[in-house]
Formats: sequence, C-alpha cells, structure tokens
Amino acid sequence: MWRRLVYAGAAAVLAAAALLLAGSLRGERSHAARAAAPFAPPSTPQAANVERLQATLRTDPTDAKDWGQLGLAYEQRARETGDPAYYTKADGALHRALRLAPRDPVATSGLGSLALSRHRFRDALRLGDQALRLAPSSAAPHAIIGDALVELGRYSAAFRSFDTFAELKPGLAAYARISYGRELVGDQAGAIAAMRLAVAAGTAEPEPSAWTHWQLGKLYWATGRTKAADEQYRAALAIFPGYVYALDALAQVYAAKGDVDTAIDLEQRAANQVPLPQFVAGLGDLYRIDGKPKAAARQYGVIGVIDRLLVANGVRTDLETALFRVDHGLQFRATLALARRAQHERPSIDGDDVLAWALARNGHCTEALRYSRLALRLGTRDALKFFHRGMIERCLGDSAAARDWFGRALALNPHFSLLWAPVARSLR
Amino acid sequence: MKRLLLLLVALSALAAPAAATAHPLGNFTSNRFSRVEVAAHRVYVLYVLDLAEIPTYQAGRIDARAYARRIAAGARLRLDGGRATLTPVATALAHPRGAGGLYTTRLEVLLRGPRLSTTTRLAYEDTNYAGRIGWKEIVVGAKTRSESDELRAYPKDLLQSPLDVTSVTGQLEPAGGSPPRLATGKTLEAPDRVADAGFASLIGRERLSALVILASLGAAFFWGMAHALSPGHGKTIVAAYLVGQRGTPLHAAALGLIVTVTHTIGVFALGLITLALSQLIVPEQLYPWLNLVSGLLVVAIGAAVFRSRYRHQRAHSHGHHHHHHHEHGAPGRRSLVAVGISGGLLPCPSALVVLLAAISLHRVAFGMLLIVAFSAGLALSITGIGLVAVFAKRLFRRASFEGRLVRLLPAASALVILAAGLAMTVRALPKVS
Repeated sequence: MWRRLVYAGAAAVLAAAALLLAGSLRGERSHAARAAAPFAPPSTPQAANVERLQATLRTDPTDAKDWGQLGLAYEQRARETGDPAYYTKADGALHRALRLAPRDPVATSGLGSLALSRHRFRDALRLGDQALRLAPSSAAPHAIIGDALVELGRYSAAFRSFDTFAELKPGLAAYARISYGRELVGDQAGAIAAMRLAVAAGTAEPEPSAWTHWQLGKLYWATGRTKAADEQYRAALAIFPGYVYALDALAQVYAAKGDVDTAIDLEQRAANQVPLPQFVAGLGDLYRIDGKPKAAARQYGVIGVIDRLLVANGVRTDLETALFRVDHGLQFRATLALARRAQHERPSIDGDDVLAWALARNGHCTEALRYSRLALRLGTRDALKFFHRGMIERCLGDSAAARDWFGRALALNPHFSLLWAPVARSLR
Repeated sequence: MKRLLLLLVALSALAAPAAATAHPLGNFTSNRFSRVEVAAHRVYVLYVLDLAEIPTYQAGRIDARAYARRIAAGARLRLDGGRATLTPVATALAHPRGAGGLYTTRLEVLLRGPRLSTTTRLAYEDTNYAGRIGWKEIVVGAKTRSESDELRAYPKDLLQSPLDVTSVTGQLEPAGGSPPRLATGKTLEAPDRVADAGFASLIGRERLSALVILASLGAAFFWGMAHALSPGHGKTIVAAYLVGQRGTPLHAAALGLIVTVTHTIGVFALGLITLALSQLIVPEQLYPWLNLVSGLLVVAIGAAVFRSRYRHQRAHSHGHHHHHHHEHGAPGRRSLVAVGISGGLLPCPSALVVLLAAISLHRVAFGMLLIVAFSAGLALSITGIGLVAVFAKRLFRRASFEGRLVRLLPAASALVILAAGLAMTVRALPKVS
C-alpha cells in the first residue's frame, strides 16, 4: 500500500515537473516588447547612471547590490533606446546579482519586470511573488504581480495588487496603473484623471514622462478627442525627441486628418528606428490607403520576416502578429490556430478579442460570439472590440445589433482604425 | 524517502531548460564602424555597415555603389578645420546567413580622402543611419584595436554598453605604405551574426597554421564539454538510465562513445540534408522533427524500463521466499544503444553552423575535424556524468541502504526517463504541427 502511494506520488510529481518543464522550454522570447510601465525612476539620467555603475563594478565586481542596480538601469536604457541588446545585458547583470546574493529582492523583481518586457507573463508572476516573499514590505513586486495578472486575465486580483502598490508607493507608476485599471472597466474619465495625475507626478527623467504623455494621449484618442491627443503626443516628443511610440501615435492623428504623406513620414521614422510589428503594419496600412499597394506589400513582407524571426526564437504565440494576420486575411486557418494558442497563453480580454476576431474571419461566428462576450466582460469601452463584435453579430445574421455595435464604435472614436473605421462607416 | 527526493531533485535540476540564445545585437540593428587611417600619404576611411535580418529585408536589393556614395556623403571629415571630401574607391558586399533562414548584410566601403604631408588635426563624424539602433564605433589609426573586431564579434561583456561613438577628434601623422584593403570571401562572409558565435568563429579564421588548428581543436573539445553541461543532451536520461539499470563504468563509457558517434553522424547527416535542401527548407524546420523523434525514443525507453521494473516488483511481492533483493542483469546492449542514440541524435545548432560554415569556406575537412573534437568533448562530459551516477549509486548501496528505497530507485529512475521524454515530446509537438 505504502509503496503504491509513493509510486503514485512520484508519478504525479514527475508529471507536473514534465509539464512545467515543457512549458518553460518553449523559451518564449519577445521582440522589444511594449515597454512595461516604468517604476521607481531615479532622478539621474540613466546613461550616466549606467556608466557610473559599470565603473564601480569594474573595480569591485562582487557587489550584488550594484549588479542589481545595473540590471535595472539597463532595463531603463532598453526602454529609452528601444535596443533589445540592453535586455540581454540586464538579464546577465541581474543573474550575476542573484549568484552573489541569491535572495536579493531587488534583482528578483528586476527579473520580474524583464519577464514582463519579454511577454513572459507567467514567469513574471512567479518572480513577482518570489520578490514579495523576500521583501514583504516592498512596493515594486506588487506592480509586477499586477501587470502580469492583467495580461493573464485575472483582473480582480490584478486590481488588488495595483491598489496595494498605490498605497505603498503613490506616484507616476501607481497612477498610471490605476488609470489602466479604470480604462479596462470602461471608466474613461476616471482613467484620464488618473493619467493626468501621473503626468503631474512626472520626474526629471525624460522617458517615463514621455511615456505618461503618450498614454494620456492614447486615452484621449480612444474617446475621439483627437486634438487633445495630438497635444499630448507632441508633449511627449518635446520631452523625448524621436520617441517612437509618440511618432507612431502622431502618424495616426495625421492620417485621421487626411494628411497621409505626413503620416507616412512619421510612421516611417518610427519603423526605421524600431521596426516593431505594429509600426511596420501601420506603415503598410498607410501606404495601402494612399493607393500604393506595392509599398504596402513591402511593409507587410517585413511582418513576415519578423514572424519568421519570432518562430526561430521559439515564440509561437505573439498576439500582435496574430492580429495583423487576421486583419490582413493571411492564412486564415493557421492564424486561427495561432490565435487560439495566443489566447491560451494570454487569456486577457485582448487575447479573447483577437481569438474572437480570428474565429469570425474563419466563419465560426457562434464560438466567436462567446469570446467577444469574454473580451467585453469588464465593460471596456474599446472601439476596435466593439467593431469586432459588430462583425460577429452581422455574421450571425443580427444586422440590427451589428449596426448598433458599429455605431457605438464610431461614436467612441471615429478614427479607431485605418482599415476598419471606413468599413464600420459603410456598414452602419 | 528524503534521499530519494534529493536524487529526484538533482536529476530534474539537470534537465532545467536552456535560456533562449539571444541574437548578439538583436534582429533589427544597423551597426556601423569607421576606421580613419593614413596610408600611401593619403587619408582613408574604412567604413563597415552590418545590417541585421530586418533592416536587410527592409533594404531590399542593395546597390553597393549607391550605398557607398550615400555613406561617403554622410561621413564628415574635417582636416585642420576644413571640410575634406571622401570618395568611395572600393566596395565589398556579402549577405551572411542570419536567424530563421534569413540573410544579414555586411557592406564594406573604402573611402579615399585628400593627401596628407604634415601632422594634421582630425575631426570625423558619422551621420549615416542616425537614429537607427545599433553598434556605432569609430577608431583612428591602422593598428588601433576595434572593440567589435570591425563588427565581426560584438563583446558580450556585461559591463559594456553597446558602443555609441559617432564622432571623434584626433591627430593624423603622415604615413606611407599601401592603401587599406577590403575583406574578401572568407572574412567577409564569416558567419559573425550567428548566435553561438564563440564556437562558430573558429572556422572563420583566415590562415590556418598548425598551432591554430591544434588550438581550435582543443577549443572545440572544451566547447563540447561545456556544451554538454548546458541543458539538454540527454544527461538526465543517461544518468537516470545508469542509476536504474545497475550500470557499470564500462556502460558509462560505452554510452559516451555512442553519444559521440551519433552526434557526429547526426551533424554530418543534417549538414548534408541542409545543403541539399537549402533551397527548399531551413534547418529550423528540421529541428522540431528531430526533437520529436528523440522525445518519442526516450519515452519508449522509459516505458520499457518501467515495465520491466514493475513486473519485477510484482514477481517480488508475490514471491514466497524472502531473499535479498537480487541483482539485476546489467543493461541490455540494445537499450544501451538506444539511450546513447537518443542522447546524441539531436545535433547542436552551433555544431551544424560550424559544418555549414566550413563547407561554404571550402574547409570541409577542417570543419569535420572540429565537429569530431566537439563531439568528443560532449561525450567526455556525458561519460563523466554517467560515472558520477554509477558511483553515486554504488555509494548509496554501500551505505547499507537496503530495503524499499533501493528497490524503488529503478522504478523512480524509469519515471524520470519517462518524464524527460514526455517533456521533450510535449515541447516538440506544437512546433511540428
């Protein structure tokens, strides 16, 4: 009897280990991911900070604290420059810190935010929890845990973490997260108010301040307040010249105003500096509406290249490229499988929405409706998600409901998408 | 029980997953290097542009001369305060293979400046590709060391930020000699950008003296040893198998030998297939299948071992006489070979890169030798691990550790093999689909 129990126990442990192993073996590696919200930005400019820490560590390479700080500084440099080489260096420096001091909470939470930047949300959650155990009174782990939980679709737990974080460390990073939470539950005005607080709490460092202006601009944009959005994007660029996220956002403003040439110029600058899929796809879409299908195809080809690189790096579930492929009608069925995996890895409302859209484009509209409902379960007011729902209702034959959703999307933001806003207008 | 757990922990630690190898500077960098020097009584600038996969694709077909003209216009040279013109006189273009079956770009341009007869103040600025992410380096002088070996090997030092030098000032002394030359064939094509550049760079060397060959073989050997200690390579399986199957040191050695032979053959075979099919498929697409085959093989071995253990256990508990736990037959020859093959079947990507590089550089024999040395290193490590497993096992037994635990050990080790195989299969499956 006893022996059988041990067998069963060992088998269970091993099976669990095997699954865990298989999960982590997938080795997800991300393109320079959407920059995670920065927290605790020191007042000194990071480049100088990096040099100072490098010099200190050259004379004394045994200081775990300095290695941890250097890792965090490299992460900030990655956000500032968009250069993923800094992520690799941050990874190395933080692991070095942990080799010297295995229970260092700063380095552990540093690895957590690095995992977020690389879209390894389950790892991030684990590291955040670990950092919290090592330093139960610290604030930073709550931010990491919350960010990871949001992406994993566990919203109420995420919002609790954000609240704890804000209590422990009110400031730019906390207000930005509160704003995000309010945006998710459809409280647009509250989100804007919180993000304005974040802007007001801005630090001497350019990147975090530019980031909050860009975020605030996006909130205005999402509710159709084009002019206010435009001002925020320009403020971001004034603080941080060449800030790619603001360039990309400003390109959309110009496109909405009908100035496609300027839009192309801006988007080209963003895509040249950091060819993230969303910039390259945006550039392709701009060429397309400008009547240059060849130039558009060239940009869409770049997405194919990025895709291949992601696959070569073991990333199979990228939500952004999945959305691109659904939007552009590429390999419908393969993309549906991709979207299913992406939603499984990232069961957030964004994952649900992309899967719903992929299902709808494949004609599986009943199942699509289920995921669209999930995508809107928080009451988020997102014009693109409304539009997707409208297309699903249309496919199911409920044209009145479809028109209603198209109307809601356009009322929220008449320029919600270069490709789909005109479609919504024509079907309304 | 505690010891059993410890053993399990130790074994699963060996199977810990590898961190994804990062591309040296990221897939979208545009890296540039300038060397300002005086030769044949003239100022020359050697300009190197290294584009990663994405910018290479974005660039489309590259007209080397047009690029050279644009680069010359963007390279600002001032001598004693006055602007001096640079004229492109030679270009060399190559597209080394990058990740995902894609290409990268290496463009070298030789720019000729004015004649120089006295010591002159120099100010040089590179305004090309402003705003693009990448390594930016300028050196002055023909002999000055380049930190990136002219964009061939980027330092991996954690205390070094990517270099960001776009302007320099200095002094130039007149000098004779012959004008600098651009790299050709081998050095131009060298597979610098490939992730595991440490081992792969061995092949790119221009001249091969006996010493270099010996040193390279030694390096390949040690690289193989170190590589075996990185996750994968069936260490877990080898160790668990030997522990469970009452292996002897001889078995450990045989396993090491089989792993070497399989690995060498695997690399050669995959290299040949890749060469033959290089127009049709990329090696990345072949790897998932190999992964799957290895995984299934390991599962089969684990299941077979477990089955025999289980049967034996049952025979034992239902037996009527209470003799000591009798010795098992040593591992069968067939299963030993199977374990060794599963450990060596999957060729290391870096080994494959070396072979392909060797073939493209027409140094096939040297490449094969390196692979053999690499595999031998690999085998030595695996044999070592096997020996540790065998001796640890004996130690356990000598500690008069009789009874249930020891009897459970073989079954547990079978489960470890099974679990490792399942993990490999589960991991491989989604990639194959």
